[in-house]
Amino acid sequence: MGKIHTKKLFVKALNKKFGKDFDLSGTKTVYERLGPEQNARKREFMEASKKLEGKRGISMYNPYLHAGGVPLGQRQLVPYKLSTTEYIVEGDDLHFVNNPAMQQMWDDIRRTIVVGLDMAHEVLEKRLGKEVTPETINNYLEILNHAMPGAAVVQEHMVETHPALVDDCNVRMFTGDDDLADEIDDQYLIDINKLFPAEQAEEIKAAMGKTSWQAIHIPTIVSRTCDGGTTSRWSAMQLSMTFIDAYNMCAGEAAVADLAFAAKHAAVIQMADMLPARRARGPNEPGGLSFGFLADMVQTSRVKAFDPPQVSLNVVAAGAMLYDQIWLGSYMSGGVGFTQYATAAYTNDVLDDFSYYACDYGVDKFGDWGKAPATLETSKDIATETTLYAMEQYESFPTLLEDHFGGSQRSAVMAAASAIGSACLTGNSQSGLAAWYLSHLIHKDGWGRMGFFGYDLQDQCGPTNVFSYQGDEGSPLELRGANYPNYAMNVGHQGEYAGISSAAHAGRFDAYACNPLIKVCFANPALIFTWDDIRKGYGMGGAREFRAAGERSLVMPAV
Amino acid sequence: MAYKPQYYPGTTSVGKNRRKHMSGDLEKLRDISDADVVTIMGHRAPGADYPSTHPPLAEMGEPDCPIRQIVTPTPGAAAGDRIRYSQFADSMYNAPAIPYFRSYWAAINCRGSDPGTLSGRQIVEARERDIEQYTKIMMDTEMCDPALATMRGCTVHGHSLRLDEDGMMFDMLARTELGSDGNVYYVKDQVGIPLDRKVNAGKPMSEAEAKKRTTIFRCDNVSFGGPCTADKRTLDEGLVTLHHMWERRSKWGFRPE
Repeated sequence: MGKIHTKKLFVKALNKKFGKDFDLSGTKTVYERLGPEQNARKREFMEASKKLEGKRGISMYNPYLHAGGVPLGQRQLVPYKLSTTEYIVEGDDLHFVNNPAMQQMWDDIRRTIVVGLDMAHEVLEKRLGKEVTPETINNYLEILNHAMPGAAVVQEHMVETHPALVDDCNVRMFTGDDDLADEIDDQYLIDINKLFPAEQAEEIKAAMGKTSWQAIHIPTIVSRTCDGGTTSRWSAMQLSMTFIDAYNMCAGEAAVADLAFAAKHAAVIQMADMLPARRARGPNEPGGLSFGFLADMVQTSRVKAFDPPQVSLNVVAAGAMLYDQIWLGSYMSGGVGFTQYATAAYTNDVLDDFSYYACDYGVDKFGDWGKAPATLETSKDIATETTLYAMEQYESFPTLLEDHFGGSQRSAVMAAASAIGSACLTGNSQSGLAAWYLSHLIHKDGWGRMGFFGYDLQDQCGPTNVFSYQGDEGSPLELRGANYPNYAMNVGHQGEYAGISSAAHAGRFDAYACNPLIKVCFANPALIFTWDDIRKGYGMGGAREFRAAGERSLVMPAV
Repeated sequence: MAYKPQYYPGTTSVGKNRRKHMSGDLEKLRDISDADVVTIMGHRAPGADYPSTHPPLAEMGEPDCPIRQIVTPTPGAAAGDRIRYSQFADSMYNAPAIPYFRSYWAAINCRGSDPGTLSGRQIVEARERDIEQYTKIMMDTEMCDPALATMRGCTVHGHSLRLDEDGMMFDMLARTELGSDGNVYYVKDQVGIPLDRKVNAGKPMSEAEAKKRTTIFRCDNVSFGGPCTADKRTLDEGLVTLHHMWERRSKWGFRPE
């Protein structure tokens, strides 16, 4: 029997933000109206701009232009604590432009492709009569890790990339065949048995069978210069050339076309689908990334399997940044407001507190994770209690309300907690989604306000698309994505949907939410971003402790 | 028997106040002059002609249209006025109005209006002379406490912030101030342009009065979910009704039969 959570995790963050002597319950304060000078980061920006203006010959950053000359930041500009971590950073540090870790998180997705090995091996063995053994595979992987970063094989006298500019590039293989895995050189293997808890490893291997796959991460600098659609093309070229080299093929023989076709199409798993013409993005761009895939990319499920809310919260953090700040906030729109929406979901331990409350309430009532019936009654119960609890926290702690000063922030956080609770307890993402929608309605009716025009729309009509799997009426949440009808426009939703997808499986202690291959691929220890702890990564980026890949400084004059 | 709208469930003061807002049966608490309302709105100088976007309808030779014959134009539409707005921010610390119920009020009671609802502000747009009339109602009646509800066209943050030490809702642009005579004065119009003269918007409500007249549920006043512990919940009738609507929307959203 669980004990209902009453820790008020956000109080520590509020103390850090507002100073330890402030009155937690006070509804009035003295607004000192100190302007931008009160904040170190704003001062840094102003100084930098002043220096750059001379070089640029044109005016730049001046926060005194804000609101027709009225100083920005008349109220206190407060820092943000990355949830569950000790990192405290300025709000500006969480804009992805200022945060290299956030950029790297997205870069790691965009530059990744999973390509099957079995089809190529069949071509080699059945069509060409070549022998494929663990030794030939190891040789192939050694050549591939030379070629994939942008080096030549087969041909002589070719231009190549500087290894220090592309050192983040690597290819490892993984397989459900333990006998084969044992024969693969450790440096080229993502070892499922070592990286995953035993039960998860067995579940993944059972789903994969004895198939073999390559986790390919092309150089960050390539995908930043080109786009997500490049990844399969870059990798396919190097794969084909490597097969030619490793298996002593003729460079022009027709069988190469089979290998190329496998590498570009038949054996490829893109991280994200291509988008329709009106949104016009290639594969491996964020608008086509399904919630289930994102849930599988995040690795908290592997390292904190017995903490389902923590698993879900890290997926929310990944999605809030990627879908809200980068996809909607920049690909689809522009400006800076999206960051402020998104940060509410991964800072100051607010969503953490609400989510643990929801889960503890559910465990107390229904007995254990994943044991509650997946019915509307369960969703109603958990969403109602969680939302009322959350609203009461905002009412009882005025600086908490002030911290989430916009209704969209509050709505997303309260609904996400309700949904995480419901999904973790039922093990069903549709139950989570039903709770999500009800929470929004309770919020709207209790306070007579919710988000903004468009924000509200999708949640008020949203209950119609739960527990329905026909293509134009529903679809499993794990298979929905950023371009799902009605989901394609509003900040403060998509990351949370990914979190709900994750929560359902975290509550069942599943090894993965949607695709075991994605889960294993992102377990690759050589990835640059901290995939097992998303919030820590953001904190490192904000604190300027994170070194991203794809830098060009090696080949440029020093600043 | 004539249809009598029920508007909103519940026997609490919040439920009753919500019914009053939706029905338009509002108590008048103060009288802000037409000129003062126009001054705060900031769209035209008091006494100036109304700019128009088309000639008066009577001069336009309207087509033979049954809808036009049924619907009498509002005065602003008949005159060809441009469409203008007023937008209010309402503090979550027991301001009398809340965004959705401002919108319900406008949609039900204000002909030719276009309400828009956000979390920190609520806008009503209409033909200029019509919106002036609607705005006066919002300022004169129990929909308004001048300390907790102010007209803000832009830079609206304040609804969720702690109150200033004098009990006024925070406003980055400092459009209003509490005078030494206890009245709230607008010193800037709704988009923050300084006014030539201060405009008296009346006295703030006492905390007790604000709690009595508010339409927001809060656990420190009228709670939406009863006592604030999981094991003692008593849900407001409004919340029970909401459950009913959500459940049916979930079950039959795609099954219109």
